[in-house]
Amino acid sequence: MNGAELAAAVRRADGGHQVFAERLEDPIAYEGAHAFHFSAKDNLCSIDFQTRSGSRILEGYRPPFDATAIERLRKAGGLLIGKTNMDEFGFGSFSANSAIGVPRNPFDRERCCGGSSGGAAAAASLIEGHLAVGVSTGGSISCPASFCGVVGLTPTYGRVSRWGLIDYGTSLDKVGLLSASSAPIRRYLPVISGPDALDPTSQTQPPLDMSGGVDSVAVPEEMLADLSDDMRDAFQGAVGKLEGMGVEVRKVAMPALRYALPAYYILATAEASTNMARYCGMRYGDIVEDTDLGFNELFSSVRSRDLGSETKRRILLGTFCRMVGLRDRYYIKALQVRQLVIRQYEEVFRDADAVLTPTMPYVAPRFDEIEKMTALEAYHADILTVPPNLAGLPHISLPCAYIGGMPAGMQLVAPHWEEGRLLSLAERWENELQYRIPEGRA
Amino acid sequence: MDEETVRKVARVARLDLTDEEVSRYAADLEDILSTFEVLDEAPSTEDFNLDPVPVEDRLRDDEVLAYPDPARLRREMRTADGWVRGPRLT
Repeated sequence: MNGAELAAAVRRADGGHQVFAERLEDPIAYEGAHAFHFSAKDNLCSIDFQTRSGSRILEGYRPPFDATAIERLRKAGGLLIGKTNMDEFGFGSFSANSAIGVPRNPFDRERCCGGSSGGAAAAASLIEGHLAVGVSTGGSISCPASFCGVVGLTPTYGRVSRWGLIDYGTSLDKVGLLSASSAPIRRYLPVISGPDALDPTSQTQPPLDMSGGVDSVAVPEEMLADLSDDMRDAFQGAVGKLEGMGVEVRKVAMPALRYALPAYYILATAEASTNMARYCGMRYGDIVEDTDLGFNELFSSVRSRDLGSETKRRILLGTFCRMVGLRDRYYIKALQVRQLVIRQYEEVFRDADAVLTPTMPYVAPRFDEIEKMTALEAYHADILTVPPNLAGLPHISLPCAYIGGMPAGMQLVAPHWEEGRLLSLAERWENELQYRIPEGRA
Repeated sequence: MDEETVRKVARVARLDLTDEEVSRYAADLEDILSTFEVLDEAPSTEDFNLDPVPVEDRLRDDEVLAYPDPARLRREMRTADGWVRGPRLT
């Protein structure tokens, strides 16, 4: 694609599907020498674009620096074409909780893209040869990858620097990549990975080894209980294909995974509620000029006006779980459960190279279905993506079937630091299944 | 979670909620907290960490690091006479 063609593809994707929170508008900006084009989820700070993280409270915030992942991709010759739409601060599974723009599914505009990196998955699907940088806390790369029919890799916690990422859950956030096939991810994961002095959690990682493979997978039976019937059939079909490729598939029991969803929501909201304290009308985005209010009244008035309803719900939940007398029951217990879940995966990895489940219990829901969901039903959507995210384990979502024209995904989880084996399997899988391209990508 | 608790938590979190929000969040959070009870069945362990992978502090050399670019920082922040300007508060 030349610059003019790329500019037209980006305009078409954005016009039809509300992919971008902000993007390069001038066609001239797409001309010139660049090795590849990429986008970044709007919770990654970048020079040249506002960074609003899907929130009104960051309206007008222009960071004076690039997130490390963005800086490294630019240095490798990448052109940052824009910032993609997302749930406010990552709080959602459908990208419908956004004050900036709600992206629409590449295969059906009446359906969501998944979340919270919904715009990133749509960009990967709709723009040929595109690399989208996403972020996952509890499944925000896998979920939209599954709903939009693209490949989404979430690396090990600490593999990619979080410098310049607007925090959601500090011990859970991971920067990763989405693309229409695995090749661009294999190429650019090494670029964004590696130690960064600006993020201490990135500094103890072993070198990235891209040589591993997957010869055997374990399927935890209890995780298949809540699937829709058509998703169960689609998944069984994918398991059959894997066996046909010579991959050994074994059923296993992983009872500790039943604790993962509540433990995740405690840790994620506890951490989020402290991370949200900085948005108070004084430091970022929508800054109050002068006021006759005291600090408490000012902070409360700005936060109440500018934060969305799901954000308030998670702040309340997280603040409650950290309150005096409840900390041991919720926060400390959730930390203990995370360790149990990690141990359970480690046991299974003694006999299997990866753990396999569907990515989501169903295909992308319609917006009218999402509106009818209770908060608890929406949280339950993450049941399959939360366990590896809680445990900080690398995982990948690959398209595995099409149900009524909508893509469905399967998710493979590998031991800490073993991203390479997931990408090797992804490459082999692409010889088995031809991924569909949405009509919107001309 | 009852409405009084929601109001108390909201005060701590610096959120002003309408009566409608208080009643909605009380119902939602009650629903969500009831699903957390399964954790009471999970075995306890003294062996846990704050991060999912081992993290250790590595100190860099003690050198002046002008990052982000101070000139850009001054340009992007609201400044007056070289000072960062905050709101007037009572």
